[in-house]
Amino acid sequence: MAMWKEFSKGLWAELPPFRLLLGLCPTLAVTTTAENGFGMGMAVVFVITLSSFIVSLIRKIIPKKVRIACYITVAASLVVSVELLMQAYAYPLYQQLGIFVPLIVVNCLILGRAEAFAGKNPVHLAVADGLGMGIGFTLSLTFLGAVRELFGTGYVFGVEILSGSFEPVEFMIAAPGAFVALGLILAGMNYLSIVKAKRRGEPAPENPSTGCHACRACAGHK
Amino acid sequence: MAKKSLSTAPFLTVASAPHMHCGTSIKGMMSTILLALLPAVIGAVYWYGMEAIRVMALSIATAVIVEALCSKIMEKEVRVDDYHAVVTGLLFAFILPAGAEWWLVVSGSAVTMVLGKMLWGNFGGAPISAVAVGWAFCIVSWPVYINVDATMLNTTLVNPLTQLRYFGVESVADASMYNLFIGDQLGALGAVQVGALLLGGLILLARRVITWEIPVATIAAVLITGGIYYAIDPEMYANPLFHLFTGSTMLSIFFLLTDFTSTPNTRGGKILFGLMAGFLIILIRTYGQYPDGVLFAVLLANMITPLCDMIKPKPFGAR
Repeated sequence: MAMWKEFSKGLWAELPPFRLLLGLCPTLAVTTTAENGFGMGMAVVFVITLSSFIVSLIRKIIPKKVRIACYITVAASLVVSVELLMQAYAYPLYQQLGIFVPLIVVNCLILGRAEAFAGKNPVHLAVADGLGMGIGFTLSLTFLGAVRELFGTGYVFGVEILSGSFEPVEFMIAAPGAFVALGLILAGMNYLSIVKAKRRGEPAPENPSTGCHACRACAGHK
Repeated sequence: MAKKSLSTAPFLTVASAPHMHCGTSIKGMMSTILLALLPAVIGAVYWYGMEAIRVMALSIATAVIVEALCSKIMEKEVRVDDYHAVVTGLLFAFILPAGAEWWLVVSGSAVTMVLGKMLWGNFGGAPISAVAVGWAFCIVSWPVYINVDATMLNTTLVNPLTQLRYFGVESVADASMYNLFIGDQLGALGAVQVGALLLGGLILLARRVITWEIPVATIAAVLITGGIYYAIDPEMYANPLFHLFTGSTMLSIFFLLTDFTSTPNTRGGKILFGLMAGFLIILIRTYGQYPDGVLFAVLLANMITPLCDMIKPKPFGAR
């Protein structure tokens, strides 16, 4: 059950881009279509699960002072393998994502989970955590990509949804559209938290998306 | 009981400061701005007829309704009666072509109010010019539908900026400054009423709704930067007065760059801000992708407002 708890927190309570606000660079940059968002998410699922697994395995032998370098090395090796696999089996997607595939190495989500969770917890929990976070990341990117693709082109996953007299709002697939769409989704998430808190009879949280409880990196976490 | 007798007969009133009010209000200032925009409205109707009235009415109505709706949703007091929404809607209509499609006017005006004003709180919160936000949204989304040349096909007016952009400086060399000044040019429906807008700006200055620093500094920067290019090669770059009298330059100088919330407050800051804006106008005109990128210059200049606000006199005794 502990595994389920660690797995499921990444799906809603600590949804990476929308709750923890981690990994925002690919979130903003590659979500011009739902397909790109999904592909990016799958690459991250692969890297983060294996990186959590390996980091957790070797957590006892990594010297404390050079742990960041070790985590990055693990992530970098995995990213290179993802890159080669994508070139072999999903070349069009690889071309679409471009520089953002190698940049998974410096995705703060990967390093964040290694530092905050996998470096301190046993293997089975670390894998559950990495898998949950990765799947949450994929779902978020696919959702954001679908929203932007729908309004920006009228298509979702290449299927025409809005047609006829609808004029595509190209703003949504341009860079500023990513920020606006992300901002509106964050506002929606916060609004949901406030409504939930009200329904439970608690006072509305001042700032629902951030806060110490969302991050497990420091001692402030209960 | 005591309360009741007080309110009916205020013999000696006790209240906290301030006790005196100079009488200016947002509503009063916005009314003055509307008055100052009136000559340009008349000019727009003269040159573009009912089409211009259609765009302006649609834009203003959308802006007011959107602001009222947003205030309701945000559970705030509805303050559309201060006319700020009317001014914003009218200014947004001024930068659209007279032949704009109705959905472009409605969605652009709604985005202007939501992204440019209401999401920042309400009046007084926005660090950027709302009108420029709406324009940027529209030009990125529907570059064809907001393009003056593509939407105004049955007109005899000529767009001097497109001429300059695509046919070189010779094509506008004989453009009469007087004709440009009275609005005899194709462009956004209100923005090209250059003389009328100048008159409106002078009304605002005379009624002290705006101060002289930003308009003067911006005009100076446009003339100086444009003059430098003109001095380098008159065969390649247009006359600086041409830049001042075409496109949205005049509208921006008097009505967008003097917006209360998105511009600096101190005198030094205002002058620097105006110089920056004028410099950017010429740079974007000269090297930019769009024939008229003045509103991008407005947005970029808004970005340096916090820096300009750091230029302030040292209070006495401060270290």
